[in-house]
Amino acid sequence: MAATRPGRQAGVTYVIGLDVGGTFTDAVAADPSGALYTAKTPSTPPDFARGFENALDLLAEQAGLSTEELLARTSHVAHGTTAALNALVTGNVATVGFLTTRGHGDAITIMNVEGRYLGLSPHEAQDTLRTRKPEPLVPRSLRREVTERIDRDGKVVVTLDEQEVRTHLRELVALGVDALAVSLLWSFRNQAHELRIRELAAEEAPGLYVTLSSELTPRIREFARAATTIMNAQVGPTLRAYLDPLEARLRARKLAGPLLVMQGSGGTVSARRAPEVAITTVGSVLTGGVVGAARLAEQLGHPNVVSTDVGGTTFLVGLIVDGRPISTSGTVLGQHPLNTPALRVHAIGSGGGAIASVDRGGNLRVGPESAGASPGPACYGLGGTMPTVTDADLVTGILNPDFFLGGRQPLSRDLAEKALLEHVGRPLGLAVRDAAAAVFAVQNGQTGDLARKVVVEAGHDPRDFVVYAFGGAGPMHSFAYAAELGARELVVPLGPTAGVFSAYGLAASAVTVSAELSDPAPLPLDPARVQANFDALADRVRTALADQEIDFASVSLRREVDARYGPQISEVTTPVADGDFDEAAVAGIGDAFEAQYARQFGPGTGYREAGIQVITYRVHGVGTLPVDPDLPVLPKPAGRVEDARKGSRPVFLDLRYGWADTAVYDYRALGPGHVITGPAIVEVPTTTVVVPSGAEGTIDRFGNLAIRLA
Amino acid sequence: MPAAFSDRFAGRPMPLDELRRAISPKLRLHTVTQEAIDGIDPLTYEVIRHRIWSITDEMGDTLKRMSGSTSVTEVNDFDFTIGDEFGQEVQVGLFNTGLVASMDLAVYWTLINRSASPGIDEGDMFLCNDPWVGGGLHQNDVAVLAPIFHDGLLFGWATAICHVADLGGSAPGSFSPTATDVFSEAVPTPPIKIVRGGELQDDVVDAYLRRSRVPEMVGLDLRAKIGANRLAVDRIATLIGKYGPDLVKAVMKRMMDDAERRLRAKLAALPDGTWHAIGYQEQSRLGDRGLHKIELRMTKIGDHLTFDFTGTDPQQGMINCPYSGMRAGVMFALLPVLAGDIPWAAGGLMRCFDLISEEGTINNASFPAAVAKAPVGPAWATANLVAECLGKMLDTTVESRPRVQSVCAGTYDGCIFTGVDDHGRPFLGGLADTMASGYGAQAESDGVDTAGLFVIPMGRAPDVEMTELTQPLLYLWRREETDTGGAGRQRGGLSGSACVIPYGVRSMTAMFTGSGKAASMSPGLAGGYPGGTQLDLVVHDTGARAALAAGRIPGSVDELGDSRCVVQSHDELPVHPDSAMVLRWTAGGGYGDPVLRDPHAVARDVADAKVSGEAALTLYGVVLLTDGSADLTATEKERELLRARRRELAVSPPASPPVRVVPGERRLLDDNLRLAPTPDGGQAVVCAHCDQALGLWGENYLARLPRRTGPPAEAGPTAWPDPGVYVDAAIEFRQFYCPCCYTALLTQVVPADQPVLLDRAPV
Repeated sequence: MAATRPGRQAGVTYVIGLDVGGTFTDAVAADPSGALYTAKTPSTPPDFARGFENALDLLAEQAGLSTEELLARTSHVAHGTTAALNALVTGNVATVGFLTTRGHGDAITIMNVEGRYLGLSPHEAQDTLRTRKPEPLVPRSLRREVTERIDRDGKVVVTLDEQEVRTHLRELVALGVDALAVSLLWSFRNQAHELRIRELAAEEAPGLYVTLSSELTPRIREFARAATTIMNAQVGPTLRAYLDPLEARLRARKLAGPLLVMQGSGGTVSARRAPEVAITTVGSVLTGGVVGAARLAEQLGHPNVVSTDVGGTTFLVGLIVDGRPISTSGTVLGQHPLNTPALRVHAIGSGGGAIASVDRGGNLRVGPESAGASPGPACYGLGGTMPTVTDADLVTGILNPDFFLGGRQPLSRDLAEKALLEHVGRPLGLAVRDAAAAVFAVQNGQTGDLARKVVVEAGHDPRDFVVYAFGGAGPMHSFAYAAELGARELVVPLGPTAGVFSAYGLAASAVTVSAELSDPAPLPLDPARVQANFDALADRVRTALADQEIDFASVSLRREVDARYGPQISEVTTPVADGDFDEAAVAGIGDAFEAQYARQFGPGTGYREAGIQVITYRVHGVGTLPVDPDLPVLPKPAGRVEDARKGSRPVFLDLRYGWADTAVYDYRALGPGHVITGPAIVEVPTTTVVVPSGAEGTIDRFGNLAIRLA
Repeated sequence: MPAAFSDRFAGRPMPLDELRRAISPKLRLHTVTQEAIDGIDPLTYEVIRHRIWSITDEMGDTLKRMSGSTSVTEVNDFDFTIGDEFGQEVQVGLFNTGLVASMDLAVYWTLINRSASPGIDEGDMFLCNDPWVGGGLHQNDVAVLAPIFHDGLLFGWATAICHVADLGGSAPGSFSPTATDVFSEAVPTPPIKIVRGGELQDDVVDAYLRRSRVPEMVGLDLRAKIGANRLAVDRIATLIGKYGPDLVKAVMKRMMDDAERRLRAKLAALPDGTWHAIGYQEQSRLGDRGLHKIELRMTKIGDHLTFDFTGTDPQQGMINCPYSGMRAGVMFALLPVLAGDIPWAAGGLMRCFDLISEEGTINNASFPAAVAKAPVGPAWATANLVAECLGKMLDTTVESRPRVQSVCAGTYDGCIFTGVDDHGRPFLGGLADTMASGYGAQAESDGVDTAGLFVIPMGRAPDVEMTELTQPLLYLWRREETDTGGAGRQRGGLSGSACVIPYGVRSMTAMFTGSGKAASMSPGLAGGYPGGTQLDLVVHDTGARAALAAGRIPGSVDELGDSRCVVQSHDELPVHPDSAMVLRWTAGGGYGDPVLRDPHAVARDVADAKVSGEAALTLYGVVLLTDGSADLTATEKERELLRARRRELAVSPPASPPVRVVPGERRLLDDNLRLAPTPDGGQAVVCAHCDQALGLWGENYLARLPRRTGPPAEAGPTAWPDPGVYVDAAIEFRQFYCPCCYTALLTQVVPADQPVLLDRAPV
């Protein structure tokens, strides 16, 4: 919680980033002079607003202001919340009635078949006999089919039977629904019937929360559209119940600027509008870290970054290319498809608590099962008997049993060895140290595989990327998965914001909004049509940015299309150059698509003979904040790097080198400019960093440890 | 007599020594010793194995994203493998699992027949769509085989394969219901070098695409397969660069050995035995009214399985598959049932069984039989029999019972159509909604509703909007169909139905292919009922357009009028502007006697429209209260009545000498049957519920039981009542009972002349 430069003069404008997680609420406030305040306080479920305000109080205290004074000088609060996700995970959601086109009410039980395996790992999906569909999102008793039909061109084939809709609405209200989800066939081509149903709902059930698929996610494929619409209706009322009083309270405490809510896409939406699109906030838990990484990357001058976060249960990977986080157009939640755009974050169950075991065929497996926080790894001595990655880290000598979490969690090497010997060593015929080394290597192999898959799948060369490693269990493995990936540089963020990384990202990031429309048609296209599509989108983006009520320093727009070869189903996102459209510019879209395609799938894989179809047009808008908080620069260290050396111990880091005596450093005695030659261990109060053999680690001006891999 | 030309094109598994000798010395193979395989440390093994898994995973993603065919992008009818230098499969994809049974065959064949001329060199790829060679089950499965070289030695193989929309032949989709031989189907192409030293060969590509009605789509698929193979070749090269070729190869061999060892251990833990099943395909081609038999005797001794198809009918019409299809039929069932929890190093798994069959039969057809229906006809029917026998085998131990499953989706309901749209453009399309079939009930859980097909575990059905976008159709409905899941103590998974009308069409003809219409081909297990029959209708003069214009959406066949054509198993019908096509596909079989089902589960099923009130009463004997919950007292009474009625209507065979059993361990056979010791030290089958002795173990115990026969409709509301519409043979409902408690031990719908089989016996 460092304040580097006091900045208390009147009129200062602060930005606040506030990330409410399940366990901790993290906050960062910054002003234009470069002052940066951070706070970390326990979250307060179920009333998360209390923790929110506690964090504000802590920030204000550091700034030497009352909370009201701080808020009165705040240009905006960017808020990451798990409210919507928690509601879905715990099932504490609104009772939703579902209206869809007659004849198609079973779409959410048929689930295109894929509901049986969506989101499962290949390992789980392979065991077909154990796969099941989840419970339908809406029980049959709350589903109603509406007599109406629109065709693929948006033409009305059957007019809406309004009387029937009214009857349905009355029945559903009588059955106690709190919210209504409406998803009709082809509504994204013609909204008329969905809009009319909302009017009828307003008459029959005033105040009922209503989500229309054509507004929330105007995309082809009725199953995912319906599932997304229903899940939005489930969490909308919950999010409203959280945000309305929170915003009112902040206003009462003199908040000057808007309260903005973080979305899974990395964009933001005003607290007032957020409940209408509640489902878009679901992924924000995962994306906060990527946004923080993107901001750090900007300051470090790294255009291409693989952002990795290793917590207790999961290994998360995100990608930043040319300074922008890579996004995806949909995700899966509880085996239901979700159409909301999100930053692409891949996850596997390979956290520090991942359990190692040997299966009946003699294969060593690490994860996805996790010992979690309780009982935790065997070495915690809290009753866990299964060996975990953390136990292996201890036995390989990487972790210091007396300095885990800065000494707050003592570790038992005996318990770790006992667990490893019993569950890995004996079955495989390995001594305990080799068993630990095996777990360590398998963990590094599978995290490296995922990281490489993420980079390569997106059509990039891993050698062009810098790996960022955060999360408590990341920095001790990052050297290995970065090497598996083929990256040459690794950064472990360790400066004052390290503990509140995602809140920093929220505070420091520009505001982004996006708009898209589907208009499938083959090239060559009429330039006027392309121009009209992009003009309409640009207008929508500018309006959305204006709605955020911030005086942006500047606003910039970026355009792209999703295109494909005629009969394909997957599209390739292709950037579109600025400027007005003529025939040459439209032809340029085709060339750019083919270049992008070849980059992704290899030269010669394109096939122009199949024709090129442009499917979706999209415009992204970025509003640069009036306050642009830089990371605080740390002072030069007083001592030499040798002064930070605590001693050495035998450590196993690599199959090729085996056990080697390895120097150990105390991070607290290191400072900018210090260089550490591997193999070495750097003990930080929050984590442990490995600098491998042949590599060199440098503390940069922000206190991060940058490691150049051999 | 010299061997016929066509005899050369027979891909078969063979001993590796023999294979090695048959390969031209020009081609040098990379191989490792058994010591190297045994010597890998577990650590390195895991790391490299995970990497190989991840490479195949990436191959699948690449193939899917680059392909242009609905069969790939929407339905997932494709697969891919990585193999060793012989093409033995080290890792395979999770998509169309039958294809796995043919890829190695194509590689063996290529090694033998292409290593001398034109040679197999670095950067080459071979295209193959000859199902006799392998690399697919019918001509529309087009494989691309890519050798992987290291240092001038053949190191391994990557293969990619997908079902393509059309490769010519007399009928659109290369699928002719009137075919009597392969010459009216797509041309089979034995392995031909389509990429030479990294260069796509335009002359070969043109020769390949020229035959297709949709060359753009097929051309894109070709590039997708090449792209997936290139990815695998590059990734394996990187892996070799890091660990060295010998270590990587040793891991590959060990992965197969490991899978083999685990499957053998699983088999060894089960009692030995032999199981016997018979299945049928209805109609061998358009106009035929026969039932065509496939017969299986499966024997398990120790850790080895033998599948003996002797007794199967001679090849005929267009319902045949070559050897690759028979092998695929085994793998369709074996992979999910026996190997769901074993890594799919298929090369190792396939060492655990032998196939016995006579050439020239339906599922081992000789050239030039028509084989376009191979995967969805004979290979599928083969898989049903394998699944049925495996289910009975696994029902004999407590540990293996969770993997018992009745037959899933016993037949495929195929519908392809062609015509001219309103703009005068020709179109070729098909319905893939029928992917959403029901899974068979398991011994400890219900079958999953609209779960998919057994043969493509990760298959999918397209969104209605995607079908309407790409084809000139409008859906009146697509839904789950009540009562289609086979009744049982555990209910079979429901299937669904779809009704479409032409939309924006000048003229249209629909072609259908199916089976399981006269009698369900999704039998139940342990007294469970078969899943519903397949039913396709073309209804003319529906008035549907007028109804829509008037603000009404027809929601049932009855609302479409009575001008109905019942579609034959193979059929071709005009579809007029005011016609509708209605498809109701087949569902999963049930498990156990339905009168043993938890009444609350039945009540829930009725509330969810999974089961009708009528079926709840007549099949399950469950009486519901007005609030929809089960009336337990009335249910108990009703079930007693049901058993009494069974006793009353049952016919007993002439009395045979009584069988006596003595106290002692009762060993599991299935839900209703146990093995018990006899006074003379032998064993007898007894009823699990009342311990009534049924017959000596090894003798035909079923033949001694009281049974009831009746019309097929007794199998439930979705059993077709009038088989004479499709076939000449008489079809009957049969149920066999315990002569004491009248629990149903076997429920089936079969030809009246089918003998009572000894379905399980000791070796």
